[in-house]
Amino acid sequence: MASPRTLPARDQSRYDYSSSTGSPERNVQDELENDFFQQSANDSSTSIVDDGKDTEDEELKQFEDMKVSRTAYLPPELLFAIFGRLASPQDLQSCVFVCKSWARCAVELLWIRPYISKFKSLESLARTIQMDHPSFPYASLIKRLNLTTLVETLNDGTVLALSACNRLERLTLTNCCQVTDTSIMPVLENNPKLLALDLSGLVDVTDLSMNVIARNCKKLQGLNITGCKKTTDASMVAVAAHCTHLKRLKLNECDQVTNESVMAFTKYCPNLLELDLHKVNKITNQAVLDIFWKLSHLRELRLGHCDLLTDTAFTGIPQRPYESLRILDLTNCDKLTDDSVEHIVEIAPRLRNLVLAKCRLITDRAVQAITKLTKNLHYLHLGHCTQLTDQAIINLIRACNRIRYIDLACCQRLTDRSITQLASLPKLRRIGLVKCSNITDRSLMALVTSTRSHPCALERVHLSYCTNLTVDGIHQLINSCTKLTHLSLTGVVCFLRKDLTRFCRPPPTEFNEHQRAVFCVFSGPGVAKLRNHLNHLSNTNGNLAPDQAYYDDADEPETGLVDEEDEEDEEEEIQEE
Amino acid sequence: MSTIKLLSSDNAELAVDKEVAERSILIKNMLEDVGGDMSDQAIPIPNVNEAVLRKVIEWCEHHKSDPPPPADEDSDSRKKSTDIEEWDQKFMQVDQEMLFEIILAANYLDIKPLLDVGCKTVANMIKGKSPEEIRKTFNIQNDFTPEEEDQIRRENEWAEE
Repeated sequence: MASPRTLPARDQSRYDYSSSTGSPERNVQDELENDFFQQSANDSSTSIVDDGKDTEDEELKQFEDMKVSRTAYLPPELLFAIFGRLASPQDLQSCVFVCKSWARCAVELLWIRPYISKFKSLESLARTIQMDHPSFPYASLIKRLNLTTLVETLNDGTVLALSACNRLERLTLTNCCQVTDTSIMPVLENNPKLLALDLSGLVDVTDLSMNVIARNCKKLQGLNITGCKKTTDASMVAVAAHCTHLKRLKLNECDQVTNESVMAFTKYCPNLLELDLHKVNKITNQAVLDIFWKLSHLRELRLGHCDLLTDTAFTGIPQRPYESLRILDLTNCDKLTDDSVEHIVEIAPRLRNLVLAKCRLITDRAVQAITKLTKNLHYLHLGHCTQLTDQAIINLIRACNRIRYIDLACCQRLTDRSITQLASLPKLRRIGLVKCSNITDRSLMALVTSTRSHPCALERVHLSYCTNLTVDGIHQLINSCTKLTHLSLTGVVCFLRKDLTRFCRPPPTEFNEHQRAVFCVFSGPGVAKLRNHLNHLSNTNGNLAPDQAYYDDADEPETGLVDEEDEEDEEEEIQEE
Repeated sequence: MSTIKLLSSDNAELAVDKEVAERSILIKNMLEDVGGDMSDQAIPIPNVNEAVLRKVIEWCEHHKSDPPPPADEDSDSRKKSTDIEEWDQKFMQVDQEMLFEIILAANYLDIKPLLDVGCKTVANMIKGKSPEEIRKTFNIQNDFTPEEEDQIRRENEWAEE
């Protein structure tokens, strides 16, 4: 063995790392709360990294045997910063296997937010975190866990294994509907650091789990129990009283929950910013008034289908500005009148999204009030507000020229005059005109013409049951709107041609025969294919009559990807039926 | 434009435009502390030698009029992105010794965008490689015992796609 030689100066001691406050790796460290290894150095002798025997002798030996790379000198915070750039878990995993000092940093990043896409991977991960003598205390490294991808396969057995974790901050189990109290309760019991919990769609979860949340997860800031229909006031009042840091709360479809819970949340959780009470349909005016009295900083409020609400809920809101309120969804609160809308606009002048779909009583007077939102308004849903007329819509568009999304489905009094005005909106991305049966190609031409003054931003256009439209009109529209990714023309008879519908995506499985027969939605690549086909017809035949040749083709339907928005829209289409 | 002097660890004195030197938050804060007047006295940079300091100054010179980096440090896309602009790529074509010296210096001098480019460069050298290839690339010795390596592989196998 060669005789020991002088070590190069240790760079760690040469460099004063503490001087660079706020450098990128700091963030990583903050996130990781990197106190962990120091802690475990004292209490574990099995772990290969913290046996405390990293003596100079061993180091000496290393330096003797090989020319050591500079990476050996990089302090952990810089290794973190480097590994933090690796997007793929496989790269991080390779780093874990390189050497001990790399493993020490890389496992933290690999485990902080394990990306699990297969049940098999989760089983393997579960085995590791239940080991008696792991190389690293893996279970404590996991901070965020999202198992939504495993929806169908996730069961209590696997979730139970996760109770070995004790530092979870975010747990997302959206729609993992086989999971019950049996496994959720121990997980919640062991994870008092939880900040965000999503149990939406876990239909079998009951008050038992919710009570564990109240008892144990007092740091919680976000709670989504959409669809946990077994939840009652008994547990929700407790959650409110103990989880006082809540900012985002979604109780959608928890229809056993009443005013009592809502008022407990407004009482104990003054930081609430988002409150979703879609279909919590036992709540009354009193709860809404209470929300507005207590939560002046509220940003988002969803009260869709809370059909007991009347004008009193809104006209009684104190006369002070709710500057933070951006989103208000009152879908199907069908007892509300123009009085409510007038008062809402007055107190919430910075509303960005306003949904009044199926508030059937509202008239032009409400729309006139909405014009006061001017440039703040980006998103407006007035579907099924059947009393509205052209003049109201024209005034609205003139005043609110930053609208990006507008839905006027079933506003059957509207004519081409409204759409001509809509065409002037420079940022319009989505337009819903399902069953606006008066509109004609003149509306389409207005949209086409507008693209000469500003580039067309339209991405999604809904024209189902606008039966006056022609193939020629649509042809011009899709040639002008290059960003179009969704075009619905269900029930537009001239489009029910085999050479066109073969570019449609297949109708949803729950549609009946009649619905399937009239279904006509082009999405994703289907739009481009329709455009190419129509251009081809027009170039070769000089008209858009069906080309007989196409009828001989196999009639395989387009299988475009169905994104979330498509699904939402689809729901709409069904409703319009 | 005022010029200041920097003194490297190996006692080389380098004159730099104040504006360029202030890409280093460490130096910027130092100048603010002494009221900005360092025209006659060289600022000691005891952790960085001349060759590295020259390289760092070259980078600061090229990037002196860059806008400040975006505030949302947390945005994943920014963090994970390993895209490096062409000039920086060329700048980073140095031997590994120098590459790591630059990273250490950028960290010490608190020049976040340079640290960023350095880390991205190393990350790109790691991407897609097997553990053995990584060890070779950076001349790292595998200090796991076969038993340890076997265990750690089993423990982390879930991350295989």
